[in-house]
Amino acid sequence: MPLHAQAPAPIPDKTHVIDRSGEPVFELRSVSHSYGRNKVIFDVSLAVWPGEVVGLVGDNGAGKSTLLKIFAGYQHPTSGTLRFMGKDVRFATPADARAMGIEAVYQDLAIVDQLSLWRNFFLGKEIVRTIGPLHVLERQRMRREAQQAISELGLTRVRSVEEPVWTLSGGERQSVAITRAMHFGAKLLMLDEPTAALSVRETRNVLASIGRARDHGLGVLYIDHNMNHVLPVADRIVLLELGRVVRVMDRGEVSLEELQDLIARRP
Amino acid sequence: MDSDTSQKPISATPSAGSRVQRRSFAEILLNVRELAPGLGLAAVVLFFTLQTRNFWSPQTMTAISTIASTIAIVSIGVTMLMICGEFDLSVGQNFAFTPIIWAILFVTNGMNEWLALAVALALAICVGMVNGLVTTIFGIPSFITTLGMFFVLQGLNNLLISGHQLIMFDPSSAISLLGARIGTTPFYMPLVWMFIIAGAFWFVLARLRYGNWTFATGGRVGPAKAMGVPTGRVKRTNFILSAFFAGLAGCMQFAYLRGVTQGQGQNYELLAITAAVLGGTSLFGGTGTIWGSVIGAFLLATIQIGLVLIGVPGSFYVTFIGVMLVIVVIANVRLGRFGTNQA
Repeated sequence: MPLHAQAPAPIPDKTHVIDRSGEPVFELRSVSHSYGRNKVIFDVSLAVWPGEVVGLVGDNGAGKSTLLKIFAGYQHPTSGTLRFMGKDVRFATPADARAMGIEAVYQDLAIVDQLSLWRNFFLGKEIVRTIGPLHVLERQRMRREAQQAISELGLTRVRSVEEPVWTLSGGERQSVAITRAMHFGAKLLMLDEPTAALSVRETRNVLASIGRARDHGLGVLYIDHNMNHVLPVADRIVLLELGRVVRVMDRGEVSLEELQDLIARRP
Repeated sequence: MDSDTSQKPISATPSAGSRVQRRSFAEILLNVRELAPGLGLAAVVLFFTLQTRNFWSPQTMTAISTIASTIAIVSIGVTMLMICGEFDLSVGQNFAFTPIIWAILFVTNGMNEWLALAVALALAICVGMVNGLVTTIFGIPSFITTLGMFFVLQGLNNLLISGHQLIMFDPSSAISLLGARIGTTPFYMPLVWMFIIAGAFWFVLARLRYGNWTFATGGRVGPAKAMGVPTGRVKRTNFILSAFFAGLAGCMQFAYLRGVTQGQGQNYELLAITAAVLGGTSLFGGTGTIWGSVIGAFLLATIQIGLVLIGVPGSFYVTFIGVMLVIVVIANVRLGRFGTNQA
């Protein structure tokens, strides 16, 4: 990660290479959430700036998934505000969040195995020529654009966009999904344990894809409980505990062992 | 589907910018899903050509082509539905129900034949809508929904013609359009319709956005939905297609035979699925081809007539088909062919 090789800043925020003078891509302001009478998120404020990878870590039940659902528009917070690019927003459906450029890449929900790479790449966003009631696929154009995006954005191992995706490995699928999000102009990328069940080399490839997304100026929210993977790419690490943000740490401020101890300790 | 076991070694060729890389001719040929069923059909035809003296006679051609074309038309709708991950067990009863409605309105009650046909087909569409709505709204397996519809229609068919046969004596323009002989050839109109419908739906699957959505819905419904594909609407539309083509094919059979009984279309729900599976369509959704199903229908019809020609008792046909179906599915699973689609 040559871009962020600078010495860690002594004070959190402000002095890091990330420009946090503008508006964050996405921001939660004092968000709380309850499922019925069961309160799971307590007054969480969290912002992701363009070109920043925020690692959201915490043990099971810390509220990571609930926060992800709030970000992606699957849940409305019980109280608090959501701000996207400096404006208050409220998502009626996950599709609203997607339309604004908030793209969630889920481990299991990224790719349709049986479709070829280019068909996956453009799934739901097909380029079509409309002839009467028919939406005819612009196949050559989509093949060309998918090939271009994939060779520019790094999936060099892919020989042909005609390959059905089941010929790709789990990590390559994740990378296709990340590349696709970048290609379609996502502003915020959310990844929920993208490296779970991947080999070491595959993990490195996926982390490299995340790095490329950040270099393209996307904000990245990276949710995981595997510290080994979060720590090298995250610019900031937000530690959740029982629905509360208990610590925000800058890159280099904390070591792997410290972080693991922090998570493992019970309040 | 485990990605790691199915992973192929991919050579790391430097991709030349935006150029779309082409696959070799042999690779394309190997990936044509219709190749295996096509070779199977060729083998069966060759076998009966050598074993019988009258395989290529006009009578045999008429029998095979009319049976094959009606099964194929039913199977095209069923294939669309299977690719998007659902089944329709009501097509066989619909195959009788629609022409019974048509015949009652037009032969028995003297309604204008085109209007009567439109009403009958509209009812077929309603059957498909009910199948689709019940399945998608309540989230139950379409196996159950359409099994229920199978019994509903069977009861209605019994009620409507209670063991009689409805016979059409006078030739008419609608009957001719759907079932007349083509000139002096041994072939009849259903064969022409089959080619038109198959061509149209090959185009839908390979070239239209709707085809992409149908494959994606059956491939994995979660990602498809997450990427913005209206999977419920895709399924409902394919239920309608399945019911409509079953009804239309039933009307063609009526027009060709000039008569319909409540027994028409018996087993057709299973034969349509069998034709699709023989043609390479996956039972799990996500893969399949229209021409494969057409070839599958011709396989069924050729074996049915061929066995009669070589003197095997007619009832042996279904036994034979049953064994063949299982073997073909085992072969497909073993060869991993259910892993991809080639639209």
